[in-house]
Amino acid sequence: MRFAYLLFGALFGFILSRARATDYDAIAGMFRLQDLHLMGVIGVAIGVGALGMFLLKRSGARAINGEPIDLKPKPMKKGLFLAGLVFGAGWALSGACPGTALAQIGEGKLYAVFTVAGILTGTWLFGVLTEPRTASTLTAKEA
Amino acid sequence: MSFFDHVFVQPWPWWAAGGGIGLFVILLAWTTGKPLGISSGYGSTCGFFSRMSAWKQKPFCETWRPWFLAGLPLGGLAAALLAGGPHLATSLHAFGGSPVLTGIAAFSGGALVGLGARWAGGCTSGHSIVGIALGSKASLIATVGFMAAGFGVTQLLFRAFGVA
Repeated sequence: MRFAYLLFGALFGFILSRARATDYDAIAGMFRLQDLHLMGVIGVAIGVGALGMFLLKRSGARAINGEPIDLKPKPMKKGLFLAGLVFGAGWALSGACPGTALAQIGEGKLYAVFTVAGILTGTWLFGVLTEPRTASTLTAKEA
Repeated sequence: MSFFDHVFVQPWPWWAAGGGIGLFVILLAWTTGKPLGISSGYGSTCGFFSRMSAWKQKPFCETWRPWFLAGLPLGGLAAALLAGGPHLATSLHAFGGSPVLTGIAAFSGGALVGLGARWAGGCTSGHSIVGIALGSKASLIATVGFMAAGFGVTQLLFRAFGVA
């Protein structure tokens, strides 16, 4: 099964690369409203994904591997817009999001090694900043 | 140009690339039951090096996530090889072609991406594509934030470095 997820990852990395989602110029072009290619990509992906996931959910079937299909919308939380701004600033600065940074390394864009190191650092930092809270909820659940 | 070239060598037009990503989301959900989400895998990776409780809970404790992440560079490599690469790059022209400035921007931008993704509870895949497709208001708000800051910061960058 692990090998299957490795292959899924490789397939998605290939798609991101062919979609030019790993291309700094395409990302900057979208944010400067000069090249709307990636906006079209995201729009079509949402449309196709929405239709497919709607049908999957409506069928009520289990996934092919026997697991239940777990497609729940993410919950509202405080500070979401501000969190989005932080992410967007990083996306524009590095020219990468969490998936494309890894695909960029494979493409030979060596600066993406720094991007991935940065993402790990930022992720870890969030864990450190919220640790007292998560630790207390865990203890509350265990008790 | 041959069919093979269009599919495996050249970049895809927006409708084909969007369709590919949408179909991938469906394929993953249909075969494994899982919603696509990349940034949580970075939390799983942190869990290898840290005993922090944050990474021991769902979704970070799910073992498929690091494997999926490990596959992404392989896909990028395959794409580059098929297109006659990989061509190694150490800098971006937006940063004056300087590897040092590019590296600093990549690391600091990456840190903001990591922090923002965990704070928002998702990234471009989990929020902007899967979340919005599932009709989540939270994902829409997060994505408006992604885009707003993306516009602002890119405008600033291109003014600061004078690249027209």
